[in-house]
Amino acid sequence: MTTLRVRIRQSLAILKGLAVTFRYLFRPPVTVRYPEVKRAAVQPRFKGRHWLTLYADGMERCVGCELCVIVCPSQAIYVRAAENTPEHQVSKGERYATDFQINELRCIFCGFCEEACPTGAIVLGREYELASFSRDAMIYTKPMLTEPYPGASGRDPQREV
Amino acid sequence: MSQLPPTITLTIDGRTVSVPKGTTVYNAARRSGIEIPIFCYHDRMPPLGACRMCLVKVEKMPKLQTSCTLEATDGMTVFTTTPEVKAGQEAILEFLLINHPLDCPICDKGGECPLQDQAYQYGPGRSRFVETKRDFAKPVSLGRVLVLDRERCILCWRCVRFGELIAGDDALKGFERGFHSEVNTPFTLPVKSKFIGNTIAICPVGALTAKTYRFAARPWDNQPVASVCTLCGVGCALEFDVRDGAITRTRARESPAVNDIWLCDLGFFGHTYVHHQDRLRTPLIRRGGGLGEATWDEALDVVARRLRAAAPGRVAMLGGTRLANEDAYVAGRFFRSVVGTNHLDHRTDAPPGGASLLAPWGMTSSLADMNDADVIVLVGCDITEEYPVIWLRMKRALDRGAAMIAVTPKGLEIDRFIAHHLVHRYGSGAQVVRALLEAMSGAPNGAGETGGVLRDAITAAGARLARAARPQILIGRGALDAPDGAEIYGLLRELAARLHTSVNVMRGKGNAFGAALAGLLPDAGPGGRPLAEVRHDLESLWGAAPSDAAGWNAPEIIEAAGQGRLDVLYVAGADPGTDAPDRTRWTEARGRLPFLVVQDAFLTQTAQMADVVLPALVAPEKDGTVCNIEGRVQRLRAAVPGPGESRADWGIFAALAERMGKVIAYSGWEEIFDEMRSLIPGLEIDARVPRQGSRIQDPGSRIQEARPVDGADTDFPLILVLGDVLFDRGAMTSRSTAIADLAGEPWALFHPEDAARCGIGEGDATVVRSRRGSVAVRAKLSPAVLPGQVFLPRGFDAAPANALVDLTEPLTRVRVTALAPVAGGAEGRKEGGGPL
Ligand code: SF4
Ligand code: SF4
Ligand code: SF4
Ligand code: SF4
Ligand code: FES
Repeated sequence: MTTLRVRIRQSLAILKGLAVTFRYLFRPPVTVRYPEVKRAAVQPRFKGRHWLTLYADGMERCVGCELCVIVCPSQAIYVRAAENTPEHQVSKGERYATDFQINELRCIFCGFCEEACPTGAIVLGREYELASFSRDAMIYTKPMLTEPYPGASGRDPQREV
Repeated sequence: MSQLPPTITLTIDGRTVSVPKGTTVYNAARRSGIEIPIFCYHDRMPPLGACRMCLVKVEKMPKLQTSCTLEATDGMTVFTTTPEVKAGQEAILEFLLINHPLDCPICDKGGECPLQDQAYQYGPGRSRFVETKRDFAKPVSLGRVLVLDRERCILCWRCVRFGELIAGDDALKGFERGFHSEVNTPFTLPVKSKFIGNTIAICPVGALTAKTYRFAARPWDNQPVASVCTLCGVGCALEFDVRDGAITRTRARESPAVNDIWLCDLGFFGHTYVHHQDRLRTPLIRRGGGLGEATWDEALDVVARRLRAAAPGRVAMLGGTRLANEDAYVAGRFFRSVVGTNHLDHRTDAPPGGASLLAPWGMTSSLADMNDADVIVLVGCDITEEYPVIWLRMKRALDRGAAMIAVTPKGLEIDRFIAHHLVHRYGSGAQVVRALLEAMSGAPNGAGETGGVLRDAITAAGARLARAARPQILIGRGALDAPDGAEIYGLLRELAARLHTSVNVMRGKGNAFGAALAGLLPDAGPGGRPLAEVRHDLESLWGAAPSDAAGWNAPEIIEAAGQGRLDVLYVAGADPGTDAPDRTRWTEARGRLPFLVVQDAFLTQTAQMADVVLPALVAPEKDGTVCNIEGRVQRLRAAVPGPGESRADWGIFAALAERMGKVIAYSGWEEIFDEMRSLIPGLEIDARVPRQGSRIQDPGSRIQEARPVDGADTDFPLILVLGDVLFDRGAMTSRSTAIADLAGEPWALFHPEDAARCGIGEGDATVVRSRRGSVAVRAKLSPAVLPGQVFLPRGFDAAPANALVDLTEPLTRVRVTALAPVAGGAEGRKEGGGPL
């Protein structure tokens, strides 16, 4: 007898579970049909692709200090610094990054680099569509990382990260 | 019996510490493993007490004490971590940071900065100073290699005291007072020093940094490789910092027996040639008129064919100072056992019949012995130019009361430290040394002068020499290669015998000692053993025996080539075109030589004339061992790979052997070194081996009287004195840009009187002309040269000193003409001014 009661209880449980399934079947979905449909905006503290930001006058914020390099847990960043000259003033002060590369495949988007940066030069932006057909293309070079115009990253370099 | 210094016992942080009396509290603490932060104190210099970082609490003393200056006393109780000490340390750091810019992100010291580390560990973490910081213009350039950032300087005076106490060159000085204090060079001229790289190393902040390393890397980018400097003969231990397969900078490695913790600026800044674009990347073969690129197979085939075709006695090899011990050994094996010739010599720059060929090169004393000398006799050796780091040891001995007696044909940069400086006319060195020996045995004081030196000075020097207890006698190239060199050397041996010591022969750059040790000498095999003696061992190891008959030495090889008695000359790691004492003779020899092979890293003067050029590695790319001038065997480690297809020298000889149907096969330098050890007793890494080389059975009998120096020559009134300088522009140095800049344009030194007579001013473009040839140089005026003499440095490819020399004459006579600029541009220059 006991066996029969158990069987009935189990069948009811299945029906109860299926009820949830069927309830959601007729509701509108929470997911979107990416990539045809895209979300309006990510969360404000979302960590996406890196940008190297510029001052309003177009000077680079990055001074090539390599603090982001040493803090990065996945060793994704490569920086080589050089000296500014009056004829070729890239950043404020004596030093700038002549080469800056980030391997976006290695990056785990932890944001440590943003935190370590003394000048707010490096920021993690909102873009997350970073796929590519080759590994090489995932190594972002300095021209790719540098904002095309001051503020283009859409991030405030002064913000609390 | 020597007495042990009395010991005292004190308590530091509850730990009982026993130290010899006279130890400072700081050193006592360090000895027992207790760390006290410091800035100004440096253990190679006496304490100063400028920074006050090293504060400690001492019981019964009312205030905190600076532990670096405080002598420990018996029963003292010291605390290094009490709240009071902590507050003191925080206050000092807060104070030091008041005017410090804290621009670590753009500072080259960042990541290896004692101020950063100690502010982190002992600092308050917060500053109450809200006012504007002191503002200096920055960065300030202090010459070719040094940059100063005055804002970052914490006024510890280490750099200034290094120049005063250790190098003796007073390169940097402190100026102004208090808030305005700053370090700078006297008269803010470009820094004048051979050791300035060391101040960068000991500056505890980023105030002094190197231009050559400016922003090149962070410490965490660098892979340090422990190796040895091979640029002069001292063989200083150093570390190459490597980033992305390139050397970013050179740092001294502590080696108490050799360089302590110092390097000279050639070592610091002279290794950039390694990555120069002119490095040879492929073999070159002469086709038609010019040298064209070729594959290794083609080049080795050509060389092997020519070597096979030539009679063994018509093949010779020159060079070896730029090779590692293993390279030199395999070279010796290749030429002796595969080619079958004994015409091997590394002494490419020795003049025929001179003392350089008689004396065994190298030191019998150790470098460390220099510290303990009480009299240093320096003959014909410009120590700061030739073996700079040895000077730092001599300076220590002089500071402890030793006296230096120098016999040189020219004043030296270290003049003010030399108690008895006998500057003589070139060619009269032997007379002066003889007079010195006589004065030493108390010969009556003659009047007048000898060789341009006052008798009184010689007498005084002789008297000091007679009291010498721990003398060091050094003879350099300036005496050995002088017309009376053999006589000077013989006299010094006599002197050494009287003083129960031996003569240190300061001769040979790079790995000259190792080349001799490995057997690149015409009359001695590995270990300097005579060929007849070593023959049996070599036969069993190599499978073929060299003949017993001594081969030709370097001048004889060049002479033989000039007489058409050579078919193939193989030059490895040498540049006879630049180094051979008489360039005309070399050029003629080359003209009559059917086949010249050069194995080198650059297209040197010699390589430009070669039939086949084989690209070789340079020292920072090699694994193996080298010897320094005292015979210490040190480990060379490859820091970077060679460019293009360049190969290790020993590998080239092995490949050639294979093409000649013989086998020379080694798995690597270790196997070669092991084989060498079986032949050379005492060969161990970091141990000293005795010097090798031609031995003189009876020095007295071999010494010829100096050839009579003929009278004045009115057409060529000045006598030429040649010498080596630290910064020159040769094949390698001209490609280390900092060194090339420090060397400047080729120059010559004139006595102001001579210069005035022919209207030459400081910095004028002049032509120095002998009957043989001429060189264009900038004039420098200095009373360091005697009137009637001209000093011309060797090592400038653009002004080859050996082009003026005619070996048939004992002295080279020259005249000087000023090059007057003619309106209409640089091309329109013509010789003007009257001949001197
Ligand atoms: S986000 Fe993190 S992992 Fe990515 S580059 Fe920055 S520090 Fe490295
Ligand atoms: S991005 Fe920031 S942390 Fe990275 S090198 Fe540039 S300034 Fe330094
Ligand atoms: S430059 Fe450096 S070593 Fe010299 S006084 Fe300043 S902090 Fe000290
Ligand atoms: S003294 Fe000689 S071995 Fe030492 S660093 Fe200078 S050049 Fe190199
Ligand atoms: S280290 Fe003692 S006062 Fe500077």
